[in-house]
Amino acid sequence: MTSALIGASEVARPASPEGRRPRRFRRSTPRNTLTRGAGLGLGIAMIWFSLLVLIPLSAVIAAAGSGGWDRYFSVLRNDQTWAAVTLTVGQAGIVTLVNIVIGTVIAWVLVRDQFWGKRLLDVIIDVPFALPTIVAGLVLLSLYGPNSPLGIHWAFTENAVALALAFVTLPFVVRTVQPVLEELEADVEEAAASLGASRGTILRRIILPSLAPAIAAGAALSFARAISEYGSLVLLSGNRPFETEVVSVRVLTFIENGNNGSAAALASVMLFVALVVIVALDIVQRRVARRG
Amino acid sequence: MSIEVTNVTKKFGDFVALDDVSVSLPTGQLTALLGPSGGGKSTLLRIIAGLDSADSGTINIEGTDATRLPAQKRGVGFVFQHYAVFKHMTVAKNVAFGLEIRKRPKDEVKRRVEELLELVHLSQFSHRLPSQLSGGQRQRMALARALAVEPKVLLLDEPFGALDAKVRKELRDWLRRLHDEVHVTTVFVTHDQEEALEVADEIVVINEGRVEQIGTPDQLYDEPANDFVMGFLGEVTQLGDVRLRPHDIEVAVTPGLAGAIEGTATRVLRVGFEVRVTVATSGGDVTVVLTRTHARQLELVEGTKVWLTAASGATTVPAMVAV
Amino acid sequence: MVDVSTPVKWLLRLVAVGYVFFLVAWPVGLVVQHTFDAGFDNLTEALSDEQVVGALQLTLMVAVWAVVINLVFGVGISLLLVRFEFPGKRVLSALIDLPLSVSPVVVGLALLLVYNGRDGWIGPAAESAGFQIIFDSPGMIMATCFVALPLIIREVVPVLHEIGDDQEQAARSLGASTRQTFWRITLPSIKWAVVYGVVLSLARSLGEFGAVKIVSGNITGQTQTATLVVEAKYQNFQQQTAYATSFLLILVSIACLVVVAFLRPKRTH
Repeated sequence: MTSALIGASEVARPASPEGRRPRRFRRSTPRNTLTRGAGLGLGIAMIWFSLLVLIPLSAVIAAAGSGGWDRYFSVLRNDQTWAAVTLTVGQAGIVTLVNIVIGTVIAWVLVRDQFWGKRLLDVIIDVPFALPTIVAGLVLLSLYGPNSPLGIHWAFTENAVALALAFVTLPFVVRTVQPVLEELEADVEEAAASLGASRGTILRRIILPSLAPAIAAGAALSFARAISEYGSLVLLSGNRPFETEVVSVRVLTFIENGNNGSAAALASVMLFVALVVIVALDIVQRRVARRG
Repeated sequence: MSIEVTNVTKKFGDFVALDDVSVSLPTGQLTALLGPSGGGKSTLLRIIAGLDSADSGTINIEGTDATRLPAQKRGVGFVFQHYAVFKHMTVAKNVAFGLEIRKRPKDEVKRRVEELLELVHLSQFSHRLPSQLSGGQRQRMALARALAVEPKVLLLDEPFGALDAKVRKELRDWLRRLHDEVHVTTVFVTHDQEEALEVADEIVVINEGRVEQIGTPDQLYDEPANDFVMGFLGEVTQLGDVRLRPHDIEVAVTPGLAGAIEGTATRVLRVGFEVRVTVATSGGDVTVVLTRTHARQLELVEGTKVWLTAASGATTVPAMVAV
Repeated sequence: MVDVSTPVKWLLRLVAVGYVFFLVAWPVGLVVQHTFDAGFDNLTEALSDEQVVGALQLTLMVAVWAVVINLVFGVGISLLLVRFEFPGKRVLSALIDLPLSVSPVVVGLALLLVYNGRDGWIGPAAESAGFQIIFDSPGMIMATCFVALPLIIREVVPVLHEIGDDQEQAARSLGASTRQTFWRITLPSIKWAVVYGVVLSLARSLGEFGAVKIVSGNITGQTQTATLVVEAKYQNFQQQTAYATSFLLILVSIACLVVVAFLRPKRTH
């Protein structure tokens, strides 16, 4: 189910030769092929899309901009906010690194290994996506909270933040790398082996470079999701200022205090990061498309 | 005339797909649009069908101006290279589609579908899904589907292009026989000259968006309008200052005939029943094709000195300077 | 294919299974176990709690509306993006993905800024027309629509690309109108992708928390959804009810996963 949520998978995957017949050149050239009915449909869709997404997001930018640069500085210079930003970015970075390594390993195991229960593992990977985030927090609390059967009490610590982020971002790298690994042609590896390459060399020179765009895409998505996470942290992190308070919680506190301007300023920074991720992904996708 | 194409031009950006094309296709005939890939023949067919529109020019089908008519109202049947079968419907449902759209009575639809499946030899497959058919069977089904609505003209876009050589050959003969039975005006696009020569009553050669020549297979083969048509319809070699077909060259192992060109056989290759000989002459290499028997009579081996002349009645065109 | 040596294979297998077990499987299992600590009592108690039942009904209502709206919008936009060319198409297709990477809290704030009845851009006008959006179900439906917006589109677009437009052209040449072509040819061909997208959207919609929390005002008994009840109950030290409600939500998401797992193989044909 994850491919839909993360999106990069079908793009990072090299286009299959027979799956998509190359569009004949004449498809690409006409600028506008809308029929009257389609034009009407597009109009209605755009009105809804504007009301739902474009206007509200512009309102965030407008509210953030209305205070000028001064407010940006005052919001970001606030010690508590700055602590939230560094904590969020730091933990998101750590979790993304963990995902890059573990996610690739899991994808490898799912594609190249055969063992009893593999299918189950494959399904469980999707659980963090399907689970409501508040439930995710509750779930983690049961093993890493006050009543932990393991005796690990991580609730309300920085570890809890990392844990929650790792939980909700688990599927991203796995699900972007998995399809690419599946379509990696065995004969390329065999060719390399026949040319005398060792396993290590094949891994380093053949497999990892082909996986790199997918890993990058998965990592970007995972990072974007991690810095914007809210629901799973509510119960687990305790939202302690300077210790476990993340940016989303900070934004919510501003909203609850009626300080929409500061909320918007901080939110616009998060929006900017989201935008950067989308652009970065687009570039990765286009590069892969050109290569494929 | 059944289909009248007048001054049709079509551009895709800077690319001119059709450049002021005018063609008249007679009623009841089987016409081939022949030419190399990207030459504009498929575009012309799609414009006739209404699946693409021309930038300028008019299309007239059976006396009605169809230039502005949408595809639904042109009364044409269209068969696609990749079959375009409705994957989620059975064979019978596929064939019935056009009739059901037209809200024909149920029993009439059933009867007509049975007739058509009979015609294309697919009766026993009527309840299968297209995915259970071979490529050739799918294309026959697509043909039945197009014929079901009794189109005024039947258009086929590279109908056998995606099939392997043997099935192609079978379907080609079958299409010819089907046309003789059904007699609907048929136009098909192909880049395979053998296919066009074998099946069509008339051939329109299209290249780089222009009509190079229109004629019967014999006319095209025997009286090619230019170098391109000659080259496209079969192998060509150059002997002296004319271009002609390799099997239209007479080979002698003794000098004698006036104007014969002297050369040495440098390569003798047996391909099935024929022998292909490369002869080095002062004007360059010439390819000659002989029957095996003939080659054996001449005792032709590599190194043999030969004298070449154009056979009497051979089709020739003057060679272009740079060739 | 390169074979890794046996010890390395076991190590990788262990890392993968261990990580997933400790991060996901065991914690989820524990919640299920907590739910049944006292047999079915926790569940029956939760299901007799009016606050929980009301929240579940509200959640279902909001989710169904959001899914229906996203279904119509999603299939429409997918067709426009794949079958037509128009200026700004690339930008639109990039913007469609935006909701996936926007924090739910930001989504909530964005809707709040435009639709609140006090100083929003559109809210006061809507409210004077008798239409309250924020702190009421329309706002909650919008928030849910926002976060689940791209899911159906992401499923349908690749399938539309893959099937191409040959079948639709064939239908047109056989005399089918645009509407007939859509209902008889296009929709049956993308059926599974649509179902798949709907299931994904449903899972996402039922579980939305942050955005809904902000636009709903979290008013007990009125605008509190199931996920908000889990938070409230847990913080009220009614943990058993929180576990039971979570269990119901887990059940639904696992059901969605199972449906999707069944649909998957069909799509590969």
